[in-house]
Amino acid sequence: MLVLLFIIFAGMAVGCAIAVVAQRNPLYSAISLIGVFISLACLYVTLAAPFIAAVQVIVYAGAIMVLVVFVIMLLNVEQEDRRRPRMAFLVPAAVGMAAVLIAEVAFILSSVQLSANTPTQNISDVGLTSSIGTGLFTTYLLPFEITSILLLMAIVGAMTLARQAKMLSPRARVVPGAQVLALNVIDPRVPLDDTKAIHVHTTTEVEKVLGIEHDHDSAQRD
Amino acid sequence: MTPQLSWYLALSAVLFTIGVAGVVIKRNVIAMFMCIELMLNAVNLTFVAFASFFQDVTGQLFVFIVMTVAAAEAAVGLGIIIAIFRNRESLDVDDASILKL
Repeated sequence: MLVLLFIIFAGMAVGCAIAVVAQRNPLYSAISLIGVFISLACLYVTLAAPFIAAVQVIVYAGAIMVLVVFVIMLLNVEQEDRRRPRMAFLVPAAVGMAAVLIAEVAFILSSVQLSANTPTQNISDVGLTSSIGTGLFTTYLLPFEITSILLLMAIVGAMTLARQAKMLSPRARVVPGAQVLALNVIDPRVPLDDTKAIHVHTTTEVEKVLGIEHDHDSAQRD
Repeated sequence: MTPQLSWYLALSAVLFTIGVAGVVIKRNVIAMFMCIELMLNAVNLTFVAFASFFQDVTGQLFVFIVMTVAAAEAAVGLGIIIAIFRNRESLDVDDASILKL
């Protein structure tokens, strides 16, 4: 019974993993990756680790993959276009490395033991939530606390990376309808010191500040 | 006959290899990111298999911490991906080959 479950879920995991690499659309890759996560969660259940299986489904298939799919949707990623590799001389090296990798996998697979030699499935509390909590808060308390600091750093880092610069720098000038340019790009003769900061956000307000206001109503009527 | 420890290790090795191949082959940053997640999961399977066969809870605690690190990596990594896309209008890693945004 367990062998049948192992074969089913291992096959699902390997198939979905190959699909992750083979798909050209990142969204399909993400869906396949969720399949890998769920089949691995089923394998964790057969390994008597129900807590890890639940966390796998909730954190990986739930939180992380939702974040990835959200970013894929946000960035409107299209399919990868086939482009010529820029370093074509590396192709023979890649073939050689792939051969070494396949040889290593074959070596590992050849040493798989098919006969039963270790009795498992004892009645124990390993894998239950209480034993994991006990271990986490007694022996491994320091890694647990360090993990919390890591999460705090990740939050701050993600906010810093994803933040947009709101205010213009004093050396920038807004050209209406165009992008923000540095002042000496627009006019190299202008001294850099007498420019005031423009603390507004929209193009219309910038036009008012610069005194180059257009008649927007007539433009909209046209 | 019950599944052996080496079966799980072999499955983990296969998944890890597929992940490595994906990181090498893929050019899309998000696809490479997902292949890295695949490798992390392969290692997690190894930890859980050892924890189950040796009747030791330490492996599952490792998995717990690896999952936390993966979540932090997802947050920061996707932030970096968004920053790259905002500056380069592309997700191809060849377009972001210089260390300057």
